[in-house]
Amino acid sequence: MLSRIIFICAMLTSGALPVLALGDDAPSWLLQAATIKTPAYDKDVQAVVLLDEGRTTVSDDGKVTKVATFAVRILSREGRQYARAAISYRTDTGKVRDMHAWLIRASGEIKKYGKDQTLDYAFDNDVYNESRTKAILAVDDADAGTVFGYETIIEERPFFDQDMWYFQGHIIPVISSRYSLTLPTNWRASGVTFNNSKIEPAISGTTFVWEMHNLPPLKEEPASPELTTIAPSLAVSYFPTEDSARRNSSRTFDNWTEVSRWYTSLSDQQSEPTEALVAKAKQLTAGSKTELDRIRAIARFAQDIQYISIQIGIGGYRPHSAAEVFSKSYGDCKDKANLMRAMLKTINIPSYLVLIVSGDPTFVREEWASPSWFNHCIIAVKVSDETQAASVVMHPTLGRLLIFDSTDDITPVGDLPDHEQGSFALIAAGDAGVLLRMPTTPPEANSLDRQSDVVLDADGSITATVRERTKGQTAADERRMFRGRSRPEYTDLIEKWIARSANGAKLTKVEPVDSSVEGRFALNIDFNARGYGQLMQDRLLVFRPAILEREGSLVLTDAKRLYPIVLQAEAYTETVSVKLPAGFVVDEVPDAMKLDSSFGTFSTKYEVKDGNLIFSRSLIQRAVTIPVEDYVKVKNFFAGMRAAEQARVVLVRN
Amino acid sequence: MRKLRYHTALFVSFFCLIFIDVMVVHAAGDDWKPIDPAELALKSPMVEKDADAEVLYWEVKVDDSPQTELVTSNYIRLKIFTERGRESQSKIDIQYYDYSRIRDIAARTIKPDGTIVELKKEDVFERTIVKLSGLKLKAKSFAIPGLEPGSIIEYRWAEVSGGRWANRMRLDFQRGVPVQKVTYFVKPAQGEYGMRYMPFHVPESTRFVKGKAGFSTVTMTNVPALREEPRMPPEDAIRPWIFIYYTLDTNTTNEGYWKDVGKRLHDFLKSNSKANDDVKKASAEIIGDATTPEQKLERLFMYCHTKIKDAYDDASGLTPDEKEKLKENKSPSDTLKRGMGNGGDIDLLFASLAAAAGFDARMALTADRGDQFFDSTFGNDFFLTSSSIAIRVGDAWRFFDPGMTYVPFGMLRWQEEGQQALISDSKEAVWVKTPLSPPEKSQEQRTAKLKLLEDGTLEGDVSIEYTGQKAIEKKEYNDDDSPAEREETLRQSVKSRMDTADVTNIRIENVQDSVKPFVYQYHVRIPGYAQRTGKRLFLQPAFFERGVPTLFPSSTRSYDVYFHYPWSEQDEVSIELPAGFTLDNADAPAPFNAQKISEYKVTIGVSKDQRTLVYRRTFYFAGNEAILFPVSGYEALKQYFELLYKADNHTITLKQGAATQQTSAN
Repeated sequence: MLSRIIFICAMLTSGALPVLALGDDAPSWLLQAATIKTPAYDKDVQAVVLLDEGRTTVSDDGKVTKVATFAVRILSREGRQYARAAISYRTDTGKVRDMHAWLIRASGEIKKYGKDQTLDYAFDNDVYNESRTKAILAVDDADAGTVFGYETIIEERPFFDQDMWYFQGHIIPVISSRYSLTLPTNWRASGVTFNNSKIEPAISGTTFVWEMHNLPPLKEEPASPELTTIAPSLAVSYFPTEDSARRNSSRTFDNWTEVSRWYTSLSDQQSEPTEALVAKAKQLTAGSKTELDRIRAIARFAQDIQYISIQIGIGGYRPHSAAEVFSKSYGDCKDKANLMRAMLKTINIPSYLVLIVSGDPTFVREEWASPSWFNHCIIAVKVSDETQAASVVMHPTLGRLLIFDSTDDITPVGDLPDHEQGSFALIAAGDAGVLLRMPTTPPEANSLDRQSDVVLDADGSITATVRERTKGQTAADERRMFRGRSRPEYTDLIEKWIARSANGAKLTKVEPVDSSVEGRFALNIDFNARGYGQLMQDRLLVFRPAILEREGSLVLTDAKRLYPIVLQAEAYTETVSVKLPAGFVVDEVPDAMKLDSSFGTFSTKYEVKDGNLIFSRSLIQRAVTIPVEDYVKVKNFFAGMRAAEQARVVLVRN
Repeated sequence: MRKLRYHTALFVSFFCLIFIDVMVVHAAGDDWKPIDPAELALKSPMVEKDADAEVLYWEVKVDDSPQTELVTSNYIRLKIFTERGRESQSKIDIQYYDYSRIRDIAARTIKPDGTIVELKKEDVFERTIVKLSGLKLKAKSFAIPGLEPGSIIEYRWAEVSGGRWANRMRLDFQRGVPVQKVTYFVKPAQGEYGMRYMPFHVPESTRFVKGKAGFSTVTMTNVPALREEPRMPPEDAIRPWIFIYYTLDTNTTNEGYWKDVGKRLHDFLKSNSKANDDVKKASAEIIGDATTPEQKLERLFMYCHTKIKDAYDDASGLTPDEKEKLKENKSPSDTLKRGMGNGGDIDLLFASLAAAAGFDARMALTADRGDQFFDSTFGNDFFLTSSSIAIRVGDAWRFFDPGMTYVPFGMLRWQEEGQQALISDSKEAVWVKTPLSPPEKSQEQRTAKLKLLEDGTLEGDVSIEYTGQKAIEKKEYNDDDSPAEREETLRQSVKSRMDTADVTNIRIENVQDSVKPFVYQYHVRIPGYAQRTGKRLFLQPAFFERGVPTLFPSSTRSYDVYFHYPWSEQDEVSIELPAGFTLDNADAPAPFNAQKISEYKVTIGVSKDQRTLVYRRTFYFAGNEAILFPVSGYEALKQYFELLYKADNHTITLKQGAATQQTSAN
């Protein structure tokens, strides 16, 4: 995974004064901040940022000094979580020169935190990573009424002459947030504002200052947009003079083509094929008849390479050589994509590395050209018209490109993980490189179809045969559950799912069929359960025809809402055929339902035919962001859907 | 939660086989052990058929013979069967503290076709995982190269720890993947101390035997992987492991050992619970006009429990800085005077006050059955981590722990109940079993006054009162949270059962009260609680059980089932019915029981005006001290809880405009 140092730094640290206070007392800026009167907030607002200030000073040789000052007033006991300082740094290019924190209690008593209280820890998931974090935690000491503040100084030689600043890094309100940039004479700077109207810097000499005041608290709501698309933020690029640029190893970018050129030059030589790679690619594609078959064969090999992350130096961005990854059989996302690229090259299929964000399709913004956005690397394969797939995008000059994530071993060629669909991504193709919107697949391409045949006995017992068929990303989810567990663990998971609806169910068959190449997954289950239906006074037999519950249904209960509702694409159809017990007839079935809206449709139907009750339901939910004004409509839609799924059928003894 | 206990680490330990040898250890060879072609050809695991990977051979050499350091050498050979196995075993982190160093790291992969890929030295990375105040946790990390399913991987390393010795050391035989064979080689330090060991959950055949070069060896074969199951016994009561330790006196008997521990405990109590005039005077004043031993002890207990603050408990309200500044209490008199101390101080004050009133007050040590099931035939006090005060009343010993903020009179924490307790004594080892509080002592008493609306919405007021162990758990969980956090905990708890529930007007009482029951009160509104068809409403009257999953959904079980303590539940739910609807069916689920272990009873009736349904439910479990059930009884237990689930999910029917089914409310 690519480094997101700048992002993390910006999220965790802030503002600046150049000189740290000495002695046991808190510095004057903090004492002053502690006197700031804040508005009366709702009782669920846990803390308020009094001051969040970052000051970046760039020297002529590209060295950067960042000073941060931060003060937060804790408003409630749970707000203690904000009494912490954290700063990320790289051991190869940076150094935390100083880090201190203070806690000012309501009584005025001051506690100081220094080196002895500073925790320094590694990113634990990687075999090696030069990124580390220093942190001071005052959580246990803080309480409502206290003010916590910290100062940090970090010196570094960043890879890029760029920076990001989050005016509101958390959901708590902010009184004052300021970012300043001091450059050598004749350097220039430009900033882009996100989630707010453009903020013009105040310029004094060679110092640029952007600031915001009195930002209200944000709120966590189900299915809401990501914080990064709500909270105001700033992205800055600065540009050296020509003389300085020659002495300076870091880079900056005016547009996406420049980013593409930089990354292409950094990575291109790493994909040079070797004889071993040529031989392997030949072996893998020997039986392949079509272009897509050849791509699939090599893609599967790249997916099978073990994911191991070793981040050294510019290695946060530069892949290890394809030859090395091939010989060790392990690598990270860019290593896997680069290996695939090298192997495709040996069979004359051009391809390009693609920089993207894994996890948030709304994160990358077109307006600021920077590698700092990205945390992941995938691949774009140039394909002819012969290859048809949902994950093909059209590049303005390179033509049709098949997008594929070789790190995601559950999503086959032709599909794309849902957390990458719709995201902006950079095609690293030298001068031809552009930022492209990744493809999205429709709900029907990611559907679930379930057929259940159920025999209901007069005592309420059922014997059920369930056949589920999924495709696309819904199949990928099923595949993840299946592959991520041992067979007993998987059976246990299915057993628990069935038991949630049918108490005491005994599974007689659990048969998963993983057709990953086709992007499909099938699950065949047979089970029986005593007393599923309830017999009342030996006269009425009541049961719920929607026997198996769906996962992840959206529940909206709040009366009001602040933000738009973000819906993911989803589609399912289900038919349950219940053979009714002899001696019983249907007394009552729920009303059929049809919900129709701009974001989806849902319907249920009941039919009695040849001694069977046939229940069907279907949903098509589109991936859309719905304006907050339509909240009630969305709430009612999902409430109606839930009610329909809980509805019961009444049989009566005739 | 505070966990003060008297540290007994200074008490000397002994038991079991001694192995002392003075021969010189051979250096480990640099070569890998030969690969058996059968291992390479192995297509499926031997120990557990569905395993993703299996350790073929695991060897650990514990060499305590060097004068100033302990050398632990590890060698692991492992077969990978699946992609999951490859993923889980491909990254190795050898963690160590800065008083240790790691040397002789080597690793290699033997591919299914026999080709070998060696780990290169430059592919081993040294990392500092975390550092704080001069302490460093480091790691040597590497990825196994060339790994694919069907491969064998092996790796080895040695850890050299300066100034350490193998005293009170665990030798584990179980890993996250099954193990075909594991062997420990142990060479003790030379000197006046002898080494002993105690095996836990290993077969009779797994015992140390004398080996070469001064090492004793112990081997275990076919060890399955440890897996998590709900309500399983503590891991140390399941895992196979051996405890090794040094002792000065290798000849003392088990009984003699405990007699010595009991005497040391007696001496400790004697010198730390002396009652001066202040304590004697206080004792007399607190007891006042109480006449029976029970009354006297209860008054003394309540005084210590409510008037003396445990400064280190979450409920004390003291900040970490304030706690750091506290002076140590040197006697019960200090504790009495300051009205504050740690849990041990409070226990000692109680013992001192009781002794001043003429009671025979002793200290009692127990193990924590949340960690391990204690067996006193093992003569080592390592596991006796908890203490309480034992008072002789008539012929019986009673146990008290006033130093635990939320433990009521006559009870101990569940971890200490139903356990063998060593009582301090100057002459002999006295073992007494602490009582296990019966189900009625730990109760959830729940009432709800609700109204059902025509559209299926249920709304009304709820009150829940927790006592005994139930209350202790609730208080410990909530006492260091803010009021808002406590409310959120409750809200999430209700929503986890009924996700449309809107919980308001929350009152949470007695969170930090050492005596009163923990109480929740709230108003709830649940759209869609009852399901509506054209002319009927279906209603689950067991409101408090709505959405509670069945306890044992899995059809298979590997370990015994362990309930921490007996408990009981008592519910009363009244539901006002919507206008125009009458009961179509209000039969109640049939009662059932499991002899004296458990009983379930429900009554359902309606008020005289036919407008209100009244549901009453009583349930208890783990009566007759039945808290541990063998795995062989799992199916019966599962069926019992399925019966409970079915009864709790019993639905009644309301019909629009129908004649009422008559039942009278109790």
